[in-house]
Amino acid sequence: MEQVLTPFMNGVLHAVQATVLISSAACLLGIVLGILLLLARTSPVLALRYLAIVYVSAMRGTPLLIQLLVVYYAIPGMLNITITPVFAGVVALAMNTAAYISEILRGVLSSLPSGQRGAAFSLGMTRWQSWRHIILPQIFLRALPPLTNEFTVTFKASSLLSIISVSELSSLARNVTLQTNAPLMVFSVCAAVYFIMLFLLSSASRRIERQVQVRVGRHD
Amino acid sequence: MIDTDIIAEALPLLLKGLKVTAFVAAVGIPLGLLVGTLLAYLTLVGNTALKWFARSYIECVRNVPFLIIVYFAYFGLPKMGLMTDAFQVAVLTTGFYTAGYFSELMRAAILSVPKGQMQAAVSLGMGYWRAQRLIIFPQLLGFLIPPTTSLVVMMFKDTAIFSVITLPELTYQSNVVVSESFAYIEILGTTALIYWVSSWFIDFAGNRFNRYALRWKARP
Repeated sequence: MEQVLTPFMNGVLHAVQATVLISSAACLLGIVLGILLLLARTSPVLALRYLAIVYVSAMRGTPLLIQLLVVYYAIPGMLNITITPVFAGVVALAMNTAAYISEILRGVLSSLPSGQRGAAFSLGMTRWQSWRHIILPQIFLRALPPLTNEFTVTFKASSLLSIISVSELSSLARNVTLQTNAPLMVFSVCAAVYFIMLFLLSSASRRIERQVQVRVGRHD
Repeated sequence: MIDTDIIAEALPLLLKGLKVTAFVAAVGIPLGLLVGTLLAYLTLVGNTALKWFARSYIECVRNVPFLIIVYFAYFGLPKMGLMTDAFQVAVLTTGFYTAGYFSELMRAAILSVPKGQMQAAVSLGMGYWRAQRLIIFPQLLGFLIPPTTSLVVMMFKDTAIFSVITLPELTYQSNVVVSESFAYIEILGTTALIYWVSSWFIDFAGNRFNRYALRWKARP
């Protein structure tokens, strides 16, 4: 048993680090993209609104694996460039999660009293000012619990990056099983490592949810 | 720039793949809904041991990536003399994963019906299960159907993962064509489109079913 697990244990810290970094980077990029999508979705320009609707529908309607293959193979092939698997993976994950994040933010936005925007407008704020000072701070606090949940989804989904040969936790497990021929043991341990990280994440998410409820309640 | 001949040539193979995808989804997902309902009731009315079993099943599904569970089943279980066929693995892991998520939805839906409904039913002389079936179930559908539709779409898309265990489903066939023709844009684009249309159709059917199931509710 120890012999089987040695190669896994040797690589596990590095692999966990890669998984955490990749999913965090994808999440941050996804939040930025998600906000842009939300702005497009609520924009006065019809074309932008439709663009956002089609983008979100396409991202939610196709498998992440296909999106990954498109970003890694199809788009660089079309543009005649080469990109690293890690870069492709982070971009694909971010593009995918952005669609879900924009929908989360949109849901929270619609729960915000419409008077807020009217008040900002009547104070002479521009669209940008009212987003920057009034709307975004309020929806972010309320969106924090579903956003942390979306982060756990991205964290789990990052395992798919092993398919385009990014070295992270899942690809480590896959490679070690090829070396040692002990898939039961290696995948169980790998699952346990994921379990611990995701369990901690979702506990944190529940804590955040309670805190947010207290805060939002106080402000309303 | 887009070669339509390649698409026309590949289409029969892709649709053959779609059939396999649809079959895995059509068998695996209902299996998961069934097991998930069972798990939901175990967490509500089971004894301590059964509750504990159901909770650990659910946490296991929620905190381990689907890919790792598929790898475990496909590479690990044959070592124990179980499940050697990619098709079996696909159907059963789809069911296994769907069940974990669905039980949470089902549980939340059951709890969303006010307690007084059950008390009133019992005071009219109904048994627990009869009341569940005739009183609680029709009322929880409004809570249950929309998130379940999302879950079905999610699991439908996740079947793309079975391409890595060489199940001849849509993504696998798409990879086969791509590796012969190198027409990344055309083939991956067509594949994405097939998934997109299918997901849209599932969404549409879910919405229609929701309206049908809630037809007894007074409309404003």
